[in-house]
Amino acid sequence: MTELYEVVTAYPEGSSTVSRYAKTAAAYGYDGIVVKTRQTEYAVEPIAEAYGIDVVKGIEITADSPDSISGSIGNFRAGCTLLLVRGGTNARNRYAVEQDRVDVLTRPMASDGDFNHVLARAASTHGVRIEFDFGPVLRETGGKRIQALRGLRKLRELVEYYETPYVVTANPTTHLWLRAPRELLAVGEQIGFSADQIEQGLAEWGRLAERNRQRADEAFIEPGVRRGRYEDPG
Amino acid sequence: MKHLPKHIRPRWRYLAVEIESTPDAEIDRGSFQRELWYAAGNLLGDPGSANADLTVYSFGFEDGAGEAIVRVRRGETDRGRAAVACLSAVDGEPVGVFVRGISGTVRACEERYLRDGTGEFEQRQVVFADATRQAVSRDNVIEISMPSGFVSATELDFE
Repeated sequence: MTELYEVVTAYPEGSSTVSRYAKTAAAYGYDGIVVKTRQTEYAVEPIAEAYGIDVVKGIEITADSPDSISGSIGNFRAGCTLLLVRGGTNARNRYAVEQDRVDVLTRPMASDGDFNHVLARAASTHGVRIEFDFGPVLRETGGKRIQALRGLRKLRELVEYYETPYVVTANPTTHLWLRAPRELLAVGEQIGFSADQIEQGLAEWGRLAERNRQRADEAFIEPGVRRGRYEDPG
Repeated sequence: MKHLPKHIRPRWRYLAVEIESTPDAEIDRGSFQRELWYAAGNLLGDPGSANADLTVYSFGFEDGAGEAIVRVRRGETDRGRAAVACLSAVDGEPVGVFVRGISGTVRACEERYLRDGTGEFEQRQVVFADATRQAVSRDNVIEISMPSGFVSATELDFE
């Protein structure tokens, strides 16, 4: 089975610490977590060791205007493995999908954000992952949930057509709102996703982290070129 | 009413559900069942909810942790699981739910997936976010009482 990851909002923005998330995520069968809160202080090694789970340092940029997002990208790109940009307005969505240095555009359909074929195509060109946020599906009711579902559907149709890479998350702000992969698969199937899509979406976090770690490695020169000995063909 | 002959009785599956919440949450069977029906009704609609027929069979919850057995019709377990996953709060307290496993009989479900309760909380004081705060701890887990509510941590955060 593929390695499944979930992205979490840790204390002080969320109400659980990284280690608490790691404990629950490990029990639920995840292989890793991505911490997206910048202010969180934590040591990766002891947590990863204690719970046998990969901990990825991510940063979510929540700046408002493209100008300040651009500044934040410059400031934070080197300090984290995964760089996320919070969408939710047309300007932010548009800016994020056109940046090669951005890994994931989060919550593109939140509040008055929208998505279209131009952005979907740009995102595949620049390798920016589009996030399917299951948070409102799991925790809202009524109108808000319907809007969120409508957004997810539109996004899904675009992503399928343009083969845009994507990620899936339940977006927990407390460890209590983590949901096991099988649960997310079940919910996804109810709202029109295929089980495989959800699984790939969860696994994509891990693949991205792995790719970025390789790139940050000293032996890495450019894609396909590494410093070191020849690969052993045998 | 006279009960149905065996071949025509509905077949059931039993979900072993792990429940977790804040240390001072008070969840009883009634409130859990109510929220579960709401969750199922909202996600699956009335017909879907009726088909899944989610009924809380046994329920135990104390000191922020518990477990329940939820009965669901055979063949509807995926929908039942999805409805359980959409349970996010009971009486305003956030809850974590996790389906440990599914069995064909209540007894098998209990024997395989249920544990006999969790330990009790121990009161203590910890230094967190630049102040000494009240907290409760159990099995490496520490729940710190903050003005904004509980913050969940583990022993690792205090080493």
